[in-house]
Amino acid sequence: MYWKYAIRRVIYAFIMFAVIVFIFSAIFNSVADRVMRAQIQETVNGESRAWLRQGQQRSQDQFLVWKAQRHDELTRMYHLDEPLMGRIFWRSIDTITFRLGQSTIIRSQQGSQNVMTIVTERIPRTLLLFGTVTVIDIVLGVWLGMRKARKAGGLMDKTTSVGTMIVYGMPAWWLGMLFIMFFAFTMPLFPSGAMHSTPPPEGIGYVLDLVYHMVLPVLTLVFLGFWGTAYITRNIVLGTMQEDFIMSARARGISERRVLFGHTLRASAPPIVTFSVLSLLGAFFGAIIYEGIFSWPGMGSLYWQSVQQNDIPVLMGNLSMTTGLYIAGLAFLDLIYGFLDPRVKVGGKA
Amino acid sequence: MKRDRLAQLRSFWGEFRQVRFGMVGVALLVVFLVLVFFERPLLTYRDVNSRWRDMMYWTDSPRYALPVWVNWFTSKDYAKSAVITAQNVQEAEGVRRTTMEFPYEFKAGRPPSDVLLQLALTGQVSLTMDIVRPDGRSVTYQKNTSSSGSQVLRISVDQNLRERVFQMVASAEDPAVASSRNPKQINSVGVLFGKAQPGVLSNPQILNGTYTIKLDVTCVGATAKLDSAKVIVAGGVSGILGTDAQKRDLWSGLVAGTKWALIIGLLTSVIAVVVGVIYGVASGYFGGWVDSLMNRVYEIFVSIPLLPILIVLSAVFKPSIWIMITMMCVFFWVGPVKTVRSIALQLKENAYIEAAHGLGASHRRILFKHMIPQLVPYAFASMALAVPGAITYEASISLIGLGDATVVTWGQILFDAYSSGAVLQGIWWWIVPPGLAIALMGMTFAFIGFAMDTILNPKLKTR
Repeated sequence: MYWKYAIRRVIYAFIMFAVIVFIFSAIFNSVADRVMRAQIQETVNGESRAWLRQGQQRSQDQFLVWKAQRHDELTRMYHLDEPLMGRIFWRSIDTITFRLGQSTIIRSQQGSQNVMTIVTERIPRTLLLFGTVTVIDIVLGVWLGMRKARKAGGLMDKTTSVGTMIVYGMPAWWLGMLFIMFFAFTMPLFPSGAMHSTPPPEGIGYVLDLVYHMVLPVLTLVFLGFWGTAYITRNIVLGTMQEDFIMSARARGISERRVLFGHTLRASAPPIVTFSVLSLLGAFFGAIIYEGIFSWPGMGSLYWQSVQQNDIPVLMGNLSMTTGLYIAGLAFLDLIYGFLDPRVKVGGKA
Repeated sequence: MKRDRLAQLRSFWGEFRQVRFGMVGVALLVVFLVLVFFERPLLTYRDVNSRWRDMMYWTDSPRYALPVWVNWFTSKDYAKSAVITAQNVQEAEGVRRTTMEFPYEFKAGRPPSDVLLQLALTGQVSLTMDIVRPDGRSVTYQKNTSSSGSQVLRISVDQNLRERVFQMVASAEDPAVASSRNPKQINSVGVLFGKAQPGVLSNPQILNGTYTIKLDVTCVGATAKLDSAKVIVAGGVSGILGTDAQKRDLWSGLVAGTKWALIIGLLTSVIAVVVGVIYGVASGYFGGWVDSLMNRVYEIFVSIPLLPILIVLSAVFKPSIWIMITMMCVFFWVGPVKTVRSIALQLKENAYIEAAHGLGASHRRILFKHMIPQLVPYAFASMALAVPGAITYEASISLIGLGDATVVTWGQILFDAYSSGAVLQGIWWWIVPPGLAIALMGMTFAFIGFAMDTILNPKLKTR
């Protein structure tokens, strides 16, 4: 039963990705066309230089014919000769099959100009940073949220709620700047950015060095993030506490601690996980450029780079991959929710 | 009906007043509104809105000056910026010679960052400038200049007078040190305002008193004349929030940015929430295939990560601030839809909706007269909570350099700061205030929104 639900949800995610990629292709069609044409022109020019250098004994006419043919060939290959809808369609197909084309300037670490390579080498780094933050956020947030719910309306609850509101509109990258200024320059406790020291140490030192570089960016995001999780947890737990089974558990004389952690938390777990991860997912994709402040070489920094160097293919490819990850995240959440809360499977709609 | 609504509103306000942090939010909002409505008198530089990026507008200010209030916390206070006008102006007849004096009372504990003489001249002119120190030593600078039209001449101590300042104190300095130092690499302003004693070149001790800048201008040509002259002391501190690398007054920038933050935040959230509420209610009310279709559209919008798409849209289309607000509205409206739809599903089961149906009311009438008014409090709470997001997104887009360059926003000030390396140099007064303003504005609306939320969900107050 769960598998059926899971497969349906995954297929749905793929369809969603396809639809959105199609919309992106339509919106950015003209700029993508322009970049593609420029790239074809460049390829043809490069090839003809090589052709001439080989010193083949052919006439000027033959050369021009060859050049025009090559140009047409490439134009046809990239479907640029087709009408508008055709171009949009083929570009969507290319994106969905992860053929993201060549970058104009940016290169991957190995020097490849393939956009897919450039983006994929950054995905694990982004996941590492934001994944770590998510785990710490949820642990801290649920812990604080339970404490808040235990004495709702008390001093602790009120002050931490105000804390939630104070950080509500604070840009993570700004706090990052302040922390760097303070903890990396005024009081040099942590490195000011990047993922490794140069050169990176070997063995266990490599991991420690990585952790050392992660401390400040993680600290900043956690400092901003767990308040929200705590507030969500508190509200969901308080909602659950109004249920009859909690009252009956209390009536049976079960200790308040066990009611809270045994009964209430177990019943509230699915929505807590979903809502907090959902809000964190939104927050992280909203804070993705934050990586740039810490020169963390992930997808967020790639946005900075591609904007500054005006590398449109990388920008587009990065957008598609980010969207793909986001949709995957949403689908993954629904799967967890379906797993934790069996009622979802029956309804079929999450 | 109208009176009902008014009474409802009044009772809501009565409840709202009980929530303390809600009132703090309202108070902060009033402060921000004051900043917007009294912008003109509050601005130290009136034309900041139109000339923020105009280098010429800021030439008279010091670079990287600290905020003025820093002097309250330090024992050695920084010199303030000042503009000194001419005194003792004497014009001799016949030879067309003008002399004037600019006295500068130097009382601060640290020297200013520069002293400039700025002259507007026409034609062929020969001038002599003397800076006479309280201890009698002086620096002299002479220049003959000619131009067909009028010209502006700027003589800076730091740029034009280094060697002369060196000469002035060289006799007092230890000869060994004096001969080893390169005159071009001294802290000229510090030396000019330093006591003439050994060590003045490396570690000048300040010499307080009245410094007089004497100017002697002789007009040679028939058309030559001195149009105006002033001495500008570029201080170590300037304005309420100091200045940045381009000499801009940060307080003025911050005040000018307030209205844009409010416009971006309020316009985006109001439009987006109105659209979202109507969308959600319609979706719940009509049900059936309309609901399914609307749900699909909603899900497409929800599945697009907001900041990345906004970045790419801005990078490709280079939008103005208004287009940027529109773009944000296009993606922000999904916020309230899910909740509103579930509320609408409950509302539509009410007997009075059925009764309205029976009386022949149109869909539009039922939607707008019977259902949406009940969602107004919820809508206001959502609006308040959507404001910080909109402001932060605009700031984020500006931070990577895609902001609308015709306006001054807090995000763009931070972009300038970040790209000029203010974080590395520790120019905290350039980074802290704009970000703090964004955070405070976000907090303001969070306070208001959360307060409305607690009123709407009373069971969440305590258990």
